[in-house]
Amino acid sequence: MSPFIQAFYYSMTDWSGFTPVMNFIGIDNYVRLFQDDTFVKSLGNNVVLVIVLPIVTIILSLILATLVTVGGRSKGQISGLKHAGFYRVVSFFPYVIPAIAIGLMWRQVFAPNGLVNGALTGLGLDQFINYAWLGEVATAMPVSMFVIIWGFVGFYMVLFVAAIKGIPAEIYEAARLDGAGRFRTAVSVTIPMIRDNVQTAYIYMGILALDAFVYMEAMNPGGGPAFSTIVMPQVLLDTAFSQGQFGRASAMGVILALVTLTFAGLVFLINSLTGGTKKDVRL
Amino acid sequence: MNFPKKPVERRNFLKGALATAALIPLGGALASCAAGGGAPNGGNAPEGEVSDTNPFGVAADSTVDVVIFNGGYGIDYAEFAGELMAENQGVTVNVAPSTNLAQELQPRFVGGNPPDVIDNSGANAIGIATILAQLEDLTDVIDAQNIEGETIRDTLFPGVLQPGTFDGKLAAINYVLTVYALWYSQSLFDENGWTVPTTWDEMMALGEQAKAQDKYLFCWGQEAASYYLELAIASGIKEGGHEVRLALENLEADCWSKPALQEVFTALEEIIAAGYVLPGGSGTQFTAAQAQWIGEGQEALLYPSGSWIENEMRDQMAENFQLTGAPVPTVSSSPALPYEALHSAAGEPFIVPSQGANVAGGKEYMRTMLSKEAATNFTESKLSPTIVRGTVPEDGFGSTALVSQVELLEAAGENVFTWSFIDFYGMNQDHLVWMNSFLDGEIDAAGLTTELQAITDAIRNDDSIEKLEVQ
Repeated sequence: MSPFIQAFYYSMTDWSGFTPVMNFIGIDNYVRLFQDDTFVKSLGNNVVLVIVLPIVTIILSLILATLVTVGGRSKGQISGLKHAGFYRVVSFFPYVIPAIAIGLMWRQVFAPNGLVNGALTGLGLDQFINYAWLGEVATAMPVSMFVIIWGFVGFYMVLFVAAIKGIPAEIYEAARLDGAGRFRTAVSVTIPMIRDNVQTAYIYMGILALDAFVYMEAMNPGGGPAFSTIVMPQVLLDTAFSQGQFGRASAMGVILALVTLTFAGLVFLINSLTGGTKKDVRL
Repeated sequence: MNFPKKPVERRNFLKGALATAALIPLGGALASCAAGGGAPNGGNAPEGEVSDTNPFGVAADSTVDVVIFNGGYGIDYAEFAGELMAENQGVTVNVAPSTNLAQELQPRFVGGNPPDVIDNSGANAIGIATILAQLEDLTDVIDAQNIEGETIRDTLFPGVLQPGTFDGKLAAINYVLTVYALWYSQSLFDENGWTVPTTWDEMMALGEQAKAQDKYLFCWGQEAASYYLELAIASGIKEGGHEVRLALENLEADCWSKPALQEVFTALEEIIAAGYVLPGGSGTQFTAAQAQWIGEGQEALLYPSGSWIENEMRDQMAENFQLTGAPVPTVSSSPALPYEALHSAAGEPFIVPSQGANVAGGKEYMRTMLSKEAATNFTESKLSPTIVRGTVPEDGFGSTALVSQVELLEAAGENVFTWSFIDFYGMNQDHLVWMNSFLDGEIDAAGLTTELQAITDAIRNDDSIEKLEVQ
């Protein structure tokens, strides 16, 4: 635990990072941080990410997981779609690629003379000639989120597939006999039965969203147009090493940690308030 | 280590794992911040005999620890100087490359055992303001004789020590001379009968001619949008004189509203509005943008940049692209400084930390670097001039860009200027964001002025940041 306590102490000093000397200045760094527009903006961006990324990723991967495990024919044995194994492998591919490569690759794809604009202008949409997807305030953040989600949907799909396979097939058969359709089965059987996995996925994806450093640094190293994609770790790195203000950077680290812990706490709380501890299935 | 007496329950284990996972970002962010408490141990190297050929008394059997930024120039030139010094003084010189100077050297500064010489350059350079008090004053190196027997000070271009001088202390010797200019292909201009614009009005006219050929005047890349701010500042200083430069350097209130700067911003705004700038730069990687200009397509005519551009883009240069530099345009035909006035600054700051184990060795290494032999080797292999004069032959080692740099410097004479506030306060990252918006046409000259002023004001009003007074 000592590094955490140390960091908290440093956050109350004016340490430059390059000398052994530091003075205690109390909560000055924290006060300044909340007056710093760039930091506040980055905090806001991380909060947006932590709300949007886990929800979209988990919904998408739940749908895919359901389709490849129990979404198949409604007659005979409970099974997934045809070629489910193939889909499973293919959608796992992005997770194998390192984050930095994902970021750099998609940056090229969304470049003004990249693949996306090539395809769109090929369809006759001339307004996309030289359109800078990552350079426009309106699209930079959505595009960045899309890239992160693309990288993780396959992984969480596999996680949920494993969980769904653990549900006894008899329960699905019973649901089918009772006349439940595919959507009803998913909502009333699958999700309640794999609730713990969803919660874990939510927390993991949330922690990733509170970082997002690699993706943002690869796609929009400067923080994006009008700082629309800047995230806290980017500001932290710049403050520590370019501006030589380790005290202030430590304060950012402490805030980042507090936000992360609060987020994890909230997920646990909401899960237990909505009956996550009960394990019964209602049809 | 104690082992738990009863087996860890699966549930508790998972809870612990979750808690650990939640703490990982914190650890990742801060693990590298732990300060060592080591006592300073430097400055006690055995001293050799002091003479004209060994002015700092470096001991023959000592070692010199050199860390070089491994960027566009590589490290072979530094190794060359190391070998030269080893021959002359009988020392061992260890040259190590680094691309993450601040991150790698931070613990060594805190622990009191920094290297003897550092080439503090690149995106992750250590902010000079942070370590200023821990650096040697290198004036005695400049006053020493070089290996060829001349006093080093007399062999340097004028004004090159200024960027490394802070409050009267020569804390860094900037080794490479960078000429900032508008770069273009002489052959392309000759073919079309174009001349390089000397005022912003002529620039507009050239923009129209370029458009007729389906070309653009300028192009830009996301990480290098601030090259256009450099262009604007240089043009503004030429128009309004040193008063403009000092206002910016000293972070004055309303410094960005100076009429000279405003006229340049407005001229740029008109160029952007007229569509003479290749759109989409804010989403283009900067080397890709530079390739649009310098590569086979030659989609843009001009590109403002430093003279490193030749070395950076050598592989992608179109055939028969005669890379040539021109001074940036002025607003009127009667500017405060002549059209030939030039933004040129010495870059690649070499520093010698006072706590290094072999300070004499560090200074001797700098003396070797500044010798004619080492400087000529650099110029020949990197096609960039150093701060040492007279190392570029007539043919510029076959580089048109190198020849034009020397011509630009000669034409400018004493009218060479530079500024340091952007690097000193680390403002580039913030400037970039708004320059991208400006070049995109998202904000106009007034909007840009507001944002730039806000960045300046924030630093001026932050009393925790030490200010540099420039006169």
